[in-house]
Amino acid sequence: MVEAVRSIVIVGGGTAGWLTAGIIAARHQARIKAGRFSVTLVESPDIKIIGVGEGTWPTMRSSLEKIGVSETALFRECDAAFKQGGQFARWTTGAEDDSYYHPLMLPQGFSQVNLVPHWLREGQGRPGAGRSFCDFVTPQGRLCEDGLAPKTITHAEYKGTANYAYHLDAGKFAPFLAKHCVQKLGVRHVLADVTEIKQRESGDIESVLTRQAGPLAGDLFVDCSGFSALLIGKQLGVGFKSCTDVLFCDTALALQVPFETPDAPMASHTIATAQDAGWIWDICLPTRRGIGYVYSSRHTTEEAARETLSRYIGPAHKNMTARKIPISAGHRQTFWKNNCVAVGLASGFFEPLESSAIVLVELSAKLIAEQMPANREVMDLVARRFNDVTTYRYGRILDFLKLHYVLTKRTDTAFWRDNVDPATIPDRLRDVLTLWKYQSPWFFDELDRLEEVFPAASYQYVLYGMGFRTEVEPEETIDTEMVAARAVRDNERITGEMRTRLPKNRELLNKIHQYGLQPV
Amino acid sequence: MTHIVPLNKEAHKTLKVDPRASAAYGDNQRFVHVVVSEFPHLLVHYPIFFSKDANTGEFHCGVMLGFDEGENLFLEQWRDLEFYRPLGLQRVPFYATGADVAIDMEHPRVGVEDGKALFTEHGEPTRYLQSIIFAFQDLSTGLGVTQYFIARLLELKLIEPVELEAEFDDGVRRHCEGLYSINQETLNTLPDAVVAELFRRGYLRLIDYMIASLRQFPVLARKKNARILQGAEGLAGTRAPAVG
Repeated sequence: MVEAVRSIVIVGGGTAGWLTAGIIAARHQARIKAGRFSVTLVESPDIKIIGVGEGTWPTMRSSLEKIGVSETALFRECDAAFKQGGQFARWTTGAEDDSYYHPLMLPQGFSQVNLVPHWLREGQGRPGAGRSFCDFVTPQGRLCEDGLAPKTITHAEYKGTANYAYHLDAGKFAPFLAKHCVQKLGVRHVLADVTEIKQRESGDIESVLTRQAGPLAGDLFVDCSGFSALLIGKQLGVGFKSCTDVLFCDTALALQVPFETPDAPMASHTIATAQDAGWIWDICLPTRRGIGYVYSSRHTTEEAARETLSRYIGPAHKNMTARKIPISAGHRQTFWKNNCVAVGLASGFFEPLESSAIVLVELSAKLIAEQMPANREVMDLVARRFNDVTTYRYGRILDFLKLHYVLTKRTDTAFWRDNVDPATIPDRLRDVLTLWKYQSPWFFDELDRLEEVFPAASYQYVLYGMGFRTEVEPEETIDTEMVAARAVRDNERITGEMRTRLPKNRELLNKIHQYGLQPV
Repeated sequence: MTHIVPLNKEAHKTLKVDPRASAAYGDNQRFVHVVVSEFPHLLVHYPIFFSKDANTGEFHCGVMLGFDEGENLFLEQWRDLEFYRPLGLQRVPFYATGADVAIDMEHPRVGVEDGKALFTEHGEPTRYLQSIIFAFQDLSTGLGVTQYFIARLLELKLIEPVELEAEFDDGVRRHCEGLYSINQETLNTLPDAVVAELFRRGYLRLIDYMIASLRQFPVLARKKNARILQGAEGLAGTRAPAVG
């Protein structure tokens, strides 16, 4: 018997739950309108969402555009701001002036030429003749330095001159999505506590029983229940693969710091400053900064960590107490089992570095929406694909996050020394690092998936931002000299134009609040 | 410098204002804001577009008068005062303050010897001043209607960016950025009820005017090219071939 998949039940209503609901419902809107498909989201009326995930990846722009929300509304209702990448301070040497950018724009002319060897060759032993790799290939580091926005008020919603993502208030983002999903996309919202999960003999989930709304039957269940992993973990017993041997950070201390004045300048990028036993994130929303210390409890005490955080914030810290959030780097061994698929924290989490959590939610939801199994018979095939891809993605994210730690030259604390211990480096990362001594990552590298979370360009920015060196034969750059020179010139010209035209980050945000962005 | 004072038939009894178009008076603008009530007059001369306010990003309607910064290809034709000029330029150097008219005494148009008087010897507004008063009436009602028109079109996704390019005989290609017009594909697929609504509100006619006015774009380009060739002729002292 072929059982059609028509009813999707999402358990959990945080960022993951509502993004997944929105992405699936938008993709299957015609079927929902015809009454032949349904998306139901059930969430507890009193569970607080974790809500510290405040950094997104530029994919969020297309995700939200597809869901059909207005970007103006996002800025106004979610306290959102622009994010043009990350600045990593004191990761390499730990010195006061040690800093590099991981911007969101691809290097100039990326599809025609790999500028890495050209940068390395220029200036005899002083790559880029003193210019950082980032500045050699893209305007975005300098836009961040200048505190500029990535667009102007005349750019339409979701459009811009510089690539960008968002910083937002996760506590406001979930209700914002919920309103849109329910009012515009026909998602059914059930506020009830899940008390029991009913399985069939086959192992498939038949329904979730709720205290307030009775049983909710479904053909496919999406577990967005956060760290508790109600369905995939507790019910279906899928194991958790810990990665704390690779990524040591296991605790976060988070707080919100108001600006001294409402018109204080705002950075348009995430600032990640390395500390003795981890790193501190610092992100600007229009009304406040979100700051947190994510550290390894094996390498420092909570008291010392609180002290570090307080020192970073300075006098503004006063009587504020940071909220402690335990994290555990790792992910499920399988993500889609039977008719249940996990998305968000229920599926796994590493650490906040590089904002990989929300982007993985988007990619997973998109994959589910696009590959929505027509019936139970083909679901296992789709599940196998989903598991392959998601396992691959977690692996690459793990590698990419670890990359930030293994390239350090810091030896001042055990945390940094332990991080370069070869035993803590995943095989695949070790292999590519060996390879990249002789060739730089570009196309034709391992990172060849259609929707790679971190593309080759991201590796370039981190590698050469942290002083990694690839050997380049003198003849290697000859053939592409002309096109590289043009790309470098273009970058300089574009940088100049952008620096004159783009407004300050806060200035544009104020205008968006006042006038809004146009839809076209 | 501006010095704006309310118009007064005693104080300004003998004041003369030059209504003629001139670059010296600030008429050398390549894009001028207009209101929808002007469309019937405009469409036979100028391409009408939407564009965004650089400061707020909000849409308004405007006509294109030239290609390069400070270029108005109509200045010569505007010597004929009967030739339709956008109200936004016609009204200079006057301002509306509520129901009253004010004037910028520092504007170069003001106090020109062979200009036009504002009041007759009996203290009545002259035909010129009357035309200014009418212009403000049209502008004040027109602005509101224009905003409603734009808002409804945005809702219906009827506004789209247009990419216009013109190549001239000076070898320089002009790329016209920041211009928007009617999305005709969306227009053609509107449900009947919406079409009826647009018709009743008078928007459908405005939409047609805007589409028809696009025919003035190549005319404007030819005007520009003729000017370039004239300049070349002047320089080389030879006859340039006629342009079609």
